[in-house]
Amino acid sequence: MLVCWEWLEQYVRLDVKPDDLADRFAMSGLNHESTTQVGGDVVIDLEVTSNRCDCLGHIGVAREASVLLGQGLCLPPAIVKEDPALKASDLIQVENRFAEACPRYTARVLQGVKIGPSPEWLVRRLSAIGINSVNNVVDVTNYVMMECGQPLHAFDLDQIQGRKIIVRPAAKDEKFLAIDHHTYELDEQTVVIADAQRAVALGGVMGGAESEVSDSTTNLLIEAASFEPLAIRRTARRLKLHSPSSFRFERRPDPAGLDWASRRCCELILQVAGGKLASGVVDTGANHPQLEPIVFRLNQLLRVLGITIPTSEVVRILSSLGCEVSALDADTLRVIAPSWRRDVTREIDLIEEVARIYGYDQIPEDAVVPLTVAPTRPKDIVLGRVRQVLSAYGVDEAITPSVVPAHQDACGSPWSEREALSTDTPLLEGARLLRRSLLPSLLAARSWNQTQAGRDASLYEVANVYLPGDDQAALPMERSMLALVTGQDLLVAKGLVEDIAASCMSRETAVVSAAYDHPLFQRGTATRYDLNGQLLGFVGLISKSTSKAVGVTASTAVAELSVETLIGALEEIRRSQRVSPYPSITRDLNFVLDESLRWAQLESMCRTSGGALLQQVEYRETYRDEKKDGAGKKRVLLSLVFQSPDRTLTSAEVDAAVGQIIADCQTQCGGQLLG
Amino acid sequence: MDLDQLVQTLERLALDAEAALAAAHDAAALEAARVQFAGARSGQLKTLQKEVGTLPADSKRAGYVKFNEVKDRIQAALDAAAARVESGADAAIPAGLDPTLPGVRRRLGHVHPITQTIEHLKQIMARLGFEVVEGPEVEDTWHNFVALNIPEDHPARDPLDNFFLACAGKLADDKGAAARTPAIDPTAPDARLMRSQTSTVQIRVMEKSAPPVRIISLGRVYRPDPPDQTHFPMFHQMEGLWIDRSVTMAQLKSVLRMFATNYLGADVSIRFRPSFFPFTEPSVEADFSWKGKWIEFGGAGMVDPNVLRAVGYDPEEVTGFAFGLGVERLCMGRHRIEDIRDLFRNDVRFLEQF
Repeated sequence: MLVCWEWLEQYVRLDVKPDDLADRFAMSGLNHESTTQVGGDVVIDLEVTSNRCDCLGHIGVAREASVLLGQGLCLPPAIVKEDPALKASDLIQVENRFAEACPRYTARVLQGVKIGPSPEWLVRRLSAIGINSVNNVVDVTNYVMMECGQPLHAFDLDQIQGRKIIVRPAAKDEKFLAIDHHTYELDEQTVVIADAQRAVALGGVMGGAESEVSDSTTNLLIEAASFEPLAIRRTARRLKLHSPSSFRFERRPDPAGLDWASRRCCELILQVAGGKLASGVVDTGANHPQLEPIVFRLNQLLRVLGITIPTSEVVRILSSLGCEVSALDADTLRVIAPSWRRDVTREIDLIEEVARIYGYDQIPEDAVVPLTVAPTRPKDIVLGRVRQVLSAYGVDEAITPSVVPAHQDACGSPWSEREALSTDTPLLEGARLLRRSLLPSLLAARSWNQTQAGRDASLYEVANVYLPGDDQAALPMERSMLALVTGQDLLVAKGLVEDIAASCMSRETAVVSAAYDHPLFQRGTATRYDLNGQLLGFVGLISKSTSKAVGVTASTAVAELSVETLIGALEEIRRSQRVSPYPSITRDLNFVLDESLRWAQLESMCRTSGGALLQQVEYRETYRDEKKDGAGKKRVLLSLVFQSPDRTLTSAEVDAAVGQIIADCQTQCGGQLLG
Repeated sequence: MDLDQLVQTLERLALDAEAALAAAHDAAALEAARVQFAGARSGQLKTLQKEVGTLPADSKRAGYVKFNEVKDRIQAALDAAAARVESGADAAIPAGLDPTLPGVRRRLGHVHPITQTIEHLKQIMARLGFEVVEGPEVEDTWHNFVALNIPEDHPARDPLDNFFLACAGKLADDKGAAARTPAIDPTAPDARLMRSQTSTVQIRVMEKSAPPVRIISLGRVYRPDPPDQTHFPMFHQMEGLWIDRSVTMAQLKSVLRMFATNYLGADVSIRFRPSFFPFTEPSVEADFSWKGKWIEFGGAGMVDPNVLRAVGYDPEEVTGFAFGLGVERLCMGRHRIEDIRDLFRNDVRFLEQF
């Protein structure tokens, strides 16, 4: 809202520097954007919050200044001289068929006006706030809008067919030629002001080209109306037609000020364009009732603000803001807010009014804040540990969009086969699907690094996936996931996943891994992990189709893990286990096995057969010697570590355990000990 | 050997031993020298000791004097060499090593700057007694608007300013962007949207737990702003809420001052400018003073009685405050990041700076 200093001075004495007043405004609710000099006049740009339509006119701003400066406010009475020989109701009829969108429509009629240029003062004030002069009548309507915040419209009465105004919804696909000479296509939600034949204005938004005031106009219809904010906003947005008028109607100007605005407009037209004003007003609505009284318990100021304010000051502030204030008893006031402050309806609103004028700088910043303990969430403990592991492995954290394009979603999700939810408008270009897995967008980030930065990026992300529930209309299940993508070897990725799990879980946690298959992964490469019977997640190499969809060219290992499962397995406080003071004995065994035999089976056999003294089974390496072992065979070297917590082991004990493993390997795994 | 010859031999031995031990740079060389000169069985010193024993009686004494002198010298040289080898002070320089070559560094991973900022904020707020809570990112209109006192005609509810979900049953087509926008009824009871603010979490927490409540919620929020240097349609917010029997605006100011002082590491002041938010009354914009300037902190205010009522609290019983701020703005200011899009491009050359 641009405010012209000289204009403001019409209503209130400003014995203060513009910069100081702008600061006072900023500290009391009208945020100061800038101050400029326009042709010798000072213009202040103020940001007006959406609840303060009263400050979208100079009078409202003047009232704030009067309260802040303790000066009186002097407003024009807008008394008009009506011609008793002319009756407005004989000259125009108004029919309101759309009261839901236009609760009140008033019309006044002027005859014999002379359209011409505006006087210098009018041109200057409008130009100071960036409005070009059109002609004396149009300028007056703009001036009054900028004076009191109520938009007005002047029609050339002789262009109104049938001498009748009809307020109605637009017909479907109805066309309308506006003052800006663009044709707009309307819908049934648009309020139009029509005559007997056609629409002559888009209610509250813009007038029509065919009924606009021109040099030959002599008779005028002055419209002052109320429109519902939602209806106006819908039209303005749909047609991308934002005007000072629609801006104000979206914020609901003072309904009780409507008649004042209409009279003020006519007063100024008579002054600058002559003519006669028909007596009376054609009005489809009723006067707005006074707002309900509010009981204001003064002790609530201390309760909410934490400070006391003298009652005399409270009364002064509210009265000068235009409230009717009376005392119910020593501690209670009865307050009726002025019609232009429809946002003030409750005690808490009065507290805000008093506080902002009294000054928030009066509120101390060293109040006592009682101590309380905020526990750390298990999730934060888990993610802290997980991030340490990932940082040690050289993986960078990424943040990728929650909503993905269809080709990424098509990679699928190991968490849900249900169709992804979709946003109505895309988050980013073409991205409308709420992701069911973090992997596709994370892979896209890896691809971006490959092509744009020439870097083989290892990335991870912690975020939610959105899994559609049974009920299509319900909120989706949101699950926190940890996903990672890396160009490193599959077994390195697995090691990372195992270290992540180990960083959270206790020694006793049962970790089960099993082969897994999903189109996201290359066949035969993926593993599924469970912790204590809860699904942890998946690790594998991505499939050709996934690579293609996300544009990754190099071989990529990925994993996606459930953060909830990690939290479920969390050992918050580590418990130590005594380190055995007795030496351990290590034996290396080299087995010739069938190619198809899996390590998991071999390891499991060793653990079962090795007895209580077997502490570790460590994989060393696999190699193949077709000449010596024949086709379809492999050699697996492993190390067994034996140790007792309470004594030194003898070779004989270890030999017996190893002997059992060698024997069971032959019977259970078909393996022969080499050498 | 007569006495003169023996004395000369002993002297030569001492010189040889001293030279050999001075040249012994490692334990093996030292040991070899020790065995050669002072070995208990057949060291050269031992051999000469026997020679001293064969001297005529009148020169025996002089022979032992010289012998003992040499023995002491060799022992001293041995001790010095042993000390030197042990301390490694003079260890041989490994061939081919250039100690000015750069160290071998492992590539460590880097935590995203947004996460680092969030962790920092959580840490400070935890010291002030605020517990971290989370809530869903896909919300219904009750939690995103209605309970937050945002009326149906409020601009914040405009479908064009929110990511509403497409109506249930409507399938997303593969072309995505080419799809015609279906009509969304944002007033429908089952309308869902990507939350536009983290205040939704306050509602969920208050609905479930009785006061007192002292929480912060952090997370992703979504608004349809086309990406540019300062806008991205997905960003992060931190929201704080404290409800108790008598929480005042003075405490709001005090908590924010302590927060800002902690965050900036210097004593700062807080300034309130009146503002308007549907869910707080009074509402303010909070600024903090920093290096002689006022910096915008975020929005704040006393929780509107309508919000308290919506979650079943009695505004006559409890009061409270709420505040919210944009994580990206803090993060960018702290790390001098000039373009918000850098935070979401995931270029490792950017990420590895943090």
